[in-house]
Amino acid sequence: MREPHARPLGIDGSNLPGPYSVGRYAAGLRDFLRERPRVQLFGEVWNLRLSRAKVYLELRDADGALPCSMWRNDFDALGFGAGALADGAAVVVGGGLDYYSGSRTSSPSFSFAIAAGALRVAGEGDLLAQLDRLRKTLDAEGLFAPQKQLARPALPRTIGVVTGEGGKARDDVLAGLRRRGWQGRLVWAFAPVQDRHAAPRITAALQDLAATGAVDVIVVARGGGSLADLFCFCDETLCRTVALLGVPVIASVGHHTDRTLIDDVAALSCSTPTHAAESAVPVHCAQARADVIALARRLSVHGRRALLHRAQALARLSRAPGEHIAGERRRLHQRLREIRAAARRRVHDERARGARKALVLDRKAQGAALDGRHATRLNALALALAAHDPERTLERGYALVTDAAGEVVTSAAAARAAGDVRLRFGDAAVDATICDE
Amino acid sequence: MMTEPEQQLALSYEAATARLEEIIKRLDSGEAGLRETLELCKEGRTLVELCAAELEAVGRGLEELRLDDLVARLETGAGAQGS
Repeated sequence: MREPHARPLGIDGSNLPGPYSVGRYAAGLRDFLRERPRVQLFGEVWNLRLSRAKVYLELRDADGALPCSMWRNDFDALGFGAGALADGAAVVVGGGLDYYSGSRTSSPSFSFAIAAGALRVAGEGDLLAQLDRLRKTLDAEGLFAPQKQLARPALPRTIGVVTGEGGKARDDVLAGLRRRGWQGRLVWAFAPVQDRHAAPRITAALQDLAATGAVDVIVVARGGGSLADLFCFCDETLCRTVALLGVPVIASVGHHTDRTLIDDVAALSCSTPTHAAESAVPVHCAQARADVIALARRLSVHGRRALLHRAQALARLSRAPGEHIAGERRRLHQRLREIRAAARRRVHDERARGARKALVLDRKAQGAALDGRHATRLNALALALAAHDPERTLERGYALVTDAAGEVVTSAAAARAAGDVRLRFGDAAVDATICDE
Repeated sequence: MMTEPEQQLALSYEAATARLEEIIKRLDSGEAGLRETLELCKEGRTLVELCAAELEAVGRGLEELRLDDLVARLETGAGAQGS
């Protein structure tokens, strides 16, 4: 590198002063900026980065931005807890302009900045609040739904990808498609994915892809970054375009912790470009080929089996009449054998029953003869008994004499002694008095 | 009104595979008669060919092109299907 004091000639025809050595000019610029009055500025923190020696951030509002830096020791002394100072936080910064003029061996990166000596958190940033309001507005207008109602093909032939040309997301998308075994047509629509030019370019890329009518699904991919880096994906025009696009859009913007508005309006939101590519092709192509082959084989088996079964059924039917007659013949023969056997059993049973009845009758006949002899003897005894019955004697004209006590009077002397007697005839009794002089 | 072949051409891969699953399920049930079985087999074979064609279309090798190239192709009538 040449010495700074080796001053060359100036540009021919130029009326500008110099040339000056850049180091001296940079030092002069640094001194000029450091002489500017120190002020307090308020805005929102974006792209906060903490290094060992310094803390870097951008102070932004809707009209502009300034880079700020602060010594790490001063920052730590403020005692912010974890997460107290994140992107989007509104702060007040106190400090002055500074400029790192660089050296022979170091570049003046982040060279111009507000060198902050004081910092105060003033609340949640307006940009985040605007983002929240826009999210609610889009939701209220029903713009989160249309993309999700679009049918996403399981096997797209053409996939459009909107991403940065030099970004890692491009390789990730390709890796995801390789994993699916997908080898269709991939249409790259490269666009800046960060800064103020990004949103209109991404919007135009999406519209152009959809307008071809040849793209089945679109992946919008970008790797991780701060919310400020991803802010272009919260652009209202971009989000409205995505919501109303006729082609399903799969968004993969930032990491899974980031949530941009395009994630809300897209058909699907994925955490990584690889995952987005896999989601664009839900079918694993190699597996699908194997499945289709298996289905074709099953169809073929069913077709052959159906014909075979029907042929067998027809053959059975053709044999059926002969088999039916033979069966009926067998059944009739069987029935005949059963009838004959039943007849033999019946004759045998009837014969046995007749023998039993004859035996019973014989026994009854013997009993009846014994009963006749008993009756004759009873008649004789009855006649003998009747012959001795006093009533029968009285009926023949005799009378029975009893005294007053009812005792039978069997002699004249007894009658005389009794005096009053009672004469009992066959039909009735009369009282009498013995008068024997 | 589309004819039957046109309807089958208009079927997406997922619709075709879903219909194939239905057909196989019906055939597996054993309730289809001979005529229905043969018709289902015929329809199934057509769907298998459709699915195989779709898989073939995304299995010939990755084709990468820029949006401008696609637009130029479409304008020159090279076809939206990359044929």
